[in-house]
Amino acid sequence: MKKSLLKVPAIALAVSMVLGLAACGGGGGSTTSTTAAPSTTAAATTQAAAAETQAPAETEAQAEPAGDPIHISMFYADNPTLPWMDSWLAVQEVQKVCNVELEVEALPSGSDFNTKCSLVLNTGENCPDVILYRDTSSAEYSSLAMNGAIVPISDYADWTPEFNARVQEFGLQDAVDAKKLLDGKRYYMPRLYDKPFYDGGLIMRQDYLEEKGFDDPKTFDDLYEILKAYKEDYPDSYPLTTLVAPYVTYRMTMPSWGIRFGKSNAGGGGALSWDYDKQEWFPAAISDQARDFLGYFHKLYAEGLLDPEMAATIPDDVWSGKLADGRAMATYAYYDQIGGVEAASDIEGFKLQMYPPLEGPAGAHHQQKASVDVGIMFPASTAKRDDFEQVVRAIDKMFFSEECATIWCIGVEGVTYTMDGDKIVYNDDILNAPEGIYKYMQLEYGCGADPTQHIWINEREMTKYDENYAEINAKVAAMDDAIQEIPPAPIFDDFTAEDAATITTPLADAIEVWIDAFVTGTKSLDTDWDAYVAELKNLQIEELCQMYNDNMVK
Amino acid sequence: MKKRYHTLENFIYDAIVYLVMIFVVICCLVPFMYMLAASLSSPKALVSSTVLLWPKELTFDAYIRIFNYPNFFRAYGNTFIYAFGGTAIALIMTCLMAYPLSKDFLWGGKILTKMVVFTMFFGGGMIPNYLLINSLHMVGTRWGILIPFCINSFNLIIMLNFFRGIPHELEEVALIDGLGWFGILRRIVLPLSTPVLATIGLYYAVFFWNDWFYSLLYLKGDQYPVMMFLRNIVNGTMELGGASGGAEKTTMSLSIKGAVIVTSTLPIILVYPFLQRFFVKGLTLGGIKG
Amino acid sequence: MKKEKKPALTPEERSRKVRKAVIYFRRYWVLYAMLVLPVIYYIIFKYIPMVGNVLAFRRYRPGKGAFGTEWTLRYFQRFLKDPMFWRALRNTIVLSVMSLAVNFPIPIIFAILVNELRGTIFKKFVQTISYMPRFISTVVVIAILNELLSPSSGLLNKLLGVFGVAPIYFMNEPQWFRPVYILSEAWQFTGWTAIIYLAAITGINQELYEAAEIDGASRGQQMWYITLPSILPTIMIMLIMNIGHILSLGFEKVLLMYTPANSGISDILDTLVYRTGLANQNYSYATAIGLFSGLVGLLLVTIANTTSKKLTGESIY
Repeated sequence: MKKSLLKVPAIALAVSMVLGLAACGGGGGSTTSTTAAPSTTAAATTQAAAAETQAPAETEAQAEPAGDPIHISMFYADNPTLPWMDSWLAVQEVQKVCNVELEVEALPSGSDFNTKCSLVLNTGENCPDVILYRDTSSAEYSSLAMNGAIVPISDYADWTPEFNARVQEFGLQDAVDAKKLLDGKRYYMPRLYDKPFYDGGLIMRQDYLEEKGFDDPKTFDDLYEILKAYKEDYPDSYPLTTLVAPYVTYRMTMPSWGIRFGKSNAGGGGALSWDYDKQEWFPAAISDQARDFLGYFHKLYAEGLLDPEMAATIPDDVWSGKLADGRAMATYAYYDQIGGVEAASDIEGFKLQMYPPLEGPAGAHHQQKASVDVGIMFPASTAKRDDFEQVVRAIDKMFFSEECATIWCIGVEGVTYTMDGDKIVYNDDILNAPEGIYKYMQLEYGCGADPTQHIWINEREMTKYDENYAEINAKVAAMDDAIQEIPPAPIFDDFTAEDAATITTPLADAIEVWIDAFVTGTKSLDTDWDAYVAELKNLQIEELCQMYNDNMVK
Repeated sequence: MKKRYHTLENFIYDAIVYLVMIFVVICCLVPFMYMLAASLSSPKALVSSTVLLWPKELTFDAYIRIFNYPNFFRAYGNTFIYAFGGTAIALIMTCLMAYPLSKDFLWGGKILTKMVVFTMFFGGGMIPNYLLINSLHMVGTRWGILIPFCINSFNLIIMLNFFRGIPHELEEVALIDGLGWFGILRRIVLPLSTPVLATIGLYYAVFFWNDWFYSLLYLKGDQYPVMMFLRNIVNGTMELGGASGGAEKTTMSLSIKGAVIVTSTLPIILVYPFLQRFFVKGLTLGGIKG
Repeated sequence: MKKEKKPALTPEERSRKVRKAVIYFRRYWVLYAMLVLPVIYYIIFKYIPMVGNVLAFRRYRPGKGAFGTEWTLRYFQRFLKDPMFWRALRNTIVLSVMSLAVNFPIPIIFAILVNELRGTIFKKFVQTISYMPRFISTVVVIAILNELLSPSSGLLNKLLGVFGVAPIYFMNEPQWFRPVYILSEAWQFTGWTAIIYLAAITGINQELYEAAEIDGASRGQQMWYITLPSILPTIMIMLIMNIGHILSLGFEKVLLMYTPANSGISDILDTLVYRTGLANQNYSYATAIGLFSGLVGLLLVTIANTTSKKLTGESIY
């Protein structure tokens, strides 16, 4: 019995190994096939020459015979809250409209997605035709781009009329041009926003404010008073808690001090900030503004107003629980999380509200936002396709045309919504969805998914939320530059990029440790500040700053 | 056996052993109970009260949601293929190599063993491995996960070490009886090695079951195993919609995480009790000799 | 695979050697035949990719070929000069040695105790339960630890509170990092590792116990004089291999337990590589450090192997 059982896999194994070896022999021969590259680069340069004379409106080449659909393979950053479905209405409809047949590979977003994209681009093997949700801001991607692994899509501007038109409409030409690399070419088609969103910020218990007769907070001093009052009423509480980790709170508040540094910050290596007046980088981590900022949070911490458990990651459930049962009353988080917390609370009259950014020494600002961010990238192998032009045109139409952008955002007229004059009226199933319009449309129809929607019009997005949210956004929009544009990034060649990375890692580590020490009071802002400054200078913060300023593209 | 209880000493000895074991069981069971309880509780109960060992507001929503995920069952099926196929191939290959190397008299055996140990410390890195497996045309095929990991040096050495412990006299007798080396391996060595085969088999099975990284690298869309699915949900952070600024937040509720962990690890956990029959005691050399 | 013999032999000697070799191979060729597939496997899948290690000495530029563009020693210079590297190395060794001291004996003791259990059902139950924690992913383990050890709501701090101990923030205070790491490893892997020892114990000849019992040996004595020596080969092999891997702890768990406050002792080689190398896809730097740890590992395993061979007669090769 046992003997015969062993025999079967043994034979299978032998056969498979022989097959494997045969494949191995074949593989040796086929490696030469990758030498076709140079000719395409030549083609690319002639295309570039042609592209000099942009003529976006004219699309005479688009005779578009409704023949066989163009097959396009695609990497998609998949999100567990919103798993990709081929059957989504938006996906089906867009394929139909553009006569395209998509083959989507949904990869777990985050590090897994990065790993796989990086692997196929680095090796140039098995690349998809298109990668969504990428940019060239990292040293690796700019290097990949300039070494020929990615198509310089800006060279093919006359094949992307829709994209060009939207950029003009939104007035984003400068922002898009800022994405060019050292060689003056842009390697992806970013998503476009007409106006920044205020999607997260200070969230507080409105019922408590009303009960105690507080006005809406305007400054960080107001916030302090409110937190203090709550602490007096509930001595066991820590009124201000943080979502995930303190850096979420810090990056949403720092701009009111005119700085932004520390973990998970856009640009500046976690040590520098952009001076919007002087248009240059400065070593924010050792600035007086930083000292003042840390002083404020230390005060909160010392008086028991700030959650002391913030060092280790605070998961969503724990965070919600703290707010829901009154152990905390304020937090920096995202608007769409409010509903879940409110539903979980048993406290009578429990109501959370999001407030506009508070005023600090440098005015009232929120975390900066980009009006042009990640987008669509074409690996170099796509340019070898005979129908490369059709692929680019199809992608352009699929993501940037009025018609398709509308489908990605709100679906199909008559199916998900109807128009009442200028007003969008969603269908009843959407309006009455318990999870809200935005979430329901994502899950049910694939509308409003981050990686696929490339055109974001603030006003249209607001129709998916309640009036309250629209009101807050209107308030923030009316403020003076509350949400600043993300600062331009320096462009390094790969040696400089390596040097910058060598400085950045230990520097960012040290800053993290010191921020924590200053806020929790294990180091004193009065007596230890000089030592801190000396340490960061020793870690070459000023050299890093110089490097950044020297490599800004004018 | 029963005579062992005759002395007080033995009784105390047993009592201590049992107490320690009960402590271990509690330590190991609690976290699992916690995940199970969380997976069966409503998200609201998880937020507003501390669910510990028993579900509150019992609901199967989390499981229903998982089963409705696109491709969940296909991923699950893939995992079974890799775990079974991979383990079968790996066990055979490992035995084939471990047995000859366990013979001290084999010329070149020592060098080969050293070369095996060497590979435990130096690998090639992600990109060279990918290029290799790609040039073998295994990327995007199921062989990409089944073949490249079919011998693990650690497991090989464990098995080799066990084979060494098998008394030579048995083999010599068999050789004289005219049984070839293959015959000896199959009829004498392997039957005597069921515990180590079960152990190594389990180690391989768990490797193939738990792998997500190599699957991510070498497989494509419809071949992904369930562990990638698990990772996506358990590690899942997302960049929030609207204007992005590098905002991230965890979003899956604990109940979903718990449910995914329970569904994706239960089968492999249940393998062990079945393997335990190979851990039966009482091999006596006399019995086999006679 | 075998190398040819050296020349300069008389014809008689040579023909005698050849005849000996012919007899040898006629007798053992099957054993070599068994090795063919596995050796091919090792060459293709383990040795060929090792070419990739040249990256440690070459400048890697993304998109410019997998094996770098020019020769350089800057990556070695970089980490040898880097104080962060030496700190990480020290932390790695301390954490690893402490972890080995605790987590190496525990599975052995556990396996022996399990073997002492009388009731078969309870024994199987204990084994199955004890290996379950192995299957909980690291992220979840850390989440459970955070919850269990939380200063405000954690079970352990509540328990300590009963005895009047003030809450301790285990996950953030540097002096608790190592104990928490090591004990959680013990919790996760004891049952799993013990399987190997259980398999070894199962192979022990039962006649030995019967004989000992007749001689009046107590169960403690049987354990000490029969069980332990019988599984010593397995113990030594496991020890040698563990010593070889002292520098590779894996980054995932430490990264998840990393807080600014404990970074002084929680930053290990693997996390350093992750942060400076892999997170920025700096393959050359990561390869250089990987090569360094590989060399150290190989050196350690050689020393351990030789020592063990001298002291106990057990060795890997």
